[in-house]
Amino acid sequence: MRLELRDVRHVYALGTPFEVAALRGVSLGVEPGEILAIVGGTGSGKSTLIQHLNLLLEPTSGEVLVDGADARTLNRGELRRRVGLVFQFPEAALFAPTFAEDVAFAPRRMDLDEDEVESRVRDALRTLGAERLAQRSPFSLSGGERRRVAISGVLAMRPEVLVLDEPTAGLDPATREELLGVIRALRDGGGTVVFVSHELDEVAEVADRVCVLERGSIRASGKPAEVFYAEESAHAPATVRAALLLARCYPEVGRPVSFDETLATIRGVLEGSR
Amino acid sequence: MNRTLGQFYPATSPIHTLDPRAKISATALFVVGLFLVDSIAGFVFVAGALAAVVAASRIPAGPFLRFFKPVAPLVALTASFQLFFSREGEVLLSWGFVEVREGGVRLAVFLALRILLLVAAAGLLTATTAPLALADGMEDLLSPLKKMRFPAHEVAMMTSIALRFIPTLGEEAKRITTAQAARGADFSGGGLLRRARALLPILVPLTVGAFRRADELAEAMESRGYKGGEGRTRFRELRFGPRDLLAPLAAVLILAGGVVL
Repeated sequence: MRLELRDVRHVYALGTPFEVAALRGVSLGVEPGEILAIVGGTGSGKSTLIQHLNLLLEPTSGEVLVDGADARTLNRGELRRRVGLVFQFPEAALFAPTFAEDVAFAPRRMDLDEDEVESRVRDALRTLGAERLAQRSPFSLSGGERRRVAISGVLAMRPEVLVLDEPTAGLDPATREELLGVIRALRDGGGTVVFVSHELDEVAEVADRVCVLERGSIRASGKPAEVFYAEESAHAPATVRAALLLARCYPEVGRPVSFDETLATIRGVLEGSR
Repeated sequence: MNRTLGQFYPATSPIHTLDPRAKISATALFVVGLFLVDSIAGFVFVAGALAAVVAASRIPAGPFLRFFKPVAPLVALTASFQLFFSREGEVLLSWGFVEVREGGVRLAVFLALRILLLVAAAGLLTATTAPLALADGMEDLLSPLKKMRFPAHEVAMMTSIALRFIPTLGEEAKRITTAQAARGADFSGGGLLRRARALLPILVPLTVGAFRRADELAEAMESRGYKGGEGRTRFRELRFGPRDLLAPLAAVLILAGGVVL
């Protein structure tokens, strides 16, 4: 499915003295089968933006299109199933006595038979590498393990688009790597992933496209190389900064973004100068 | 900024700047004294004086009148009980076995006025005093009871912490609600039992979160050297000036007027 925001504005507490414009006219497409990263500072409107993708928030003006149709005309429950949204620190919303039951919460709301629910729970937990945790209580495990289960809880709906708000915030490096691997695997399996992040290094590793938000407007969007090399600033992944430094002496460096690309470039430069 | 936090109505007025202790004692005196007023002229005088104080507090009539909304059914109910079941005085009206007597009308009107004035006084107190100042004031006023082992400081501290965390928990509840809505939770529709069960995915994490917060707060307080009320000073010192004496004095004068009339 293809999602599109068209000139979306969102104002909180409209018509009160506490009015805040969180989005000021954002137009953005989410293409099927891509990993789209949304980056931006605190208060730039990232979280507000993603809640429009499944209409948990409705635009104050502008529209959200799902495969070209106005999202407001679609069934909300159906839309929220097809666009799975994982909030920031999703483990704070775990509630069932065991992880398996928590993950089963969403599929149970979809009128599936019990076998189907079970197989979805198993698949979702397996995808996140949390199968062995199924029968444990959510309140006895570490933050990283609880995060995996919370994400499985949304994945069990088998959404066409998975939206994650800062999925790696506060995780240890190993779990973070694994989670980025899951995001890649979901895309490689034909899914679409939108994720919000503060961490440009991880964006450089997995994103197919990057959208930079600033004070409720899009400052830049496009392929990671286009966005990160567009302006010289400290706001670029470490790989890009290293490549920029190297390019001062070796103009043939080009525009590598991911760690592997940058490594290959550096290797090429070293071999060429030998 | 948060309208749900009590009924505090921020404004700059001579009433807002009064010492909370002055306002609390004035309100207490007023409420007790109300029961001594026993004539229409007295009630009119007291209500007029209170209205003048409300005007001085610069709280617009609209928000102030909203304080009466929750008690309106109570007033109507008690007043109608007095109206129909009192057996005093002459019969004014009667339909079959229902009769309205003169004494009943009198009692109903007085009772309704008393409740409304009581609510108005309490409303004025909470509207002009920030919740935390109110808690501080209560602590000071209750501190003589410490001699009788009443934990005045602890009660005030618990009150202010509870008040402080109402908006925080409100936000958390909202966040959890949207997170569960994204997983297909439906909070509307169904019978009472179904609705109560639908709330479970919100209440469980909210409670767990509240306990976690309480733990963290206790740790933060201890790490900053909190060890109870003994010898503890305040960030906002309350100062009881001569002007503050005017509040209880005014309450007494208004009621004296009301009783005499």
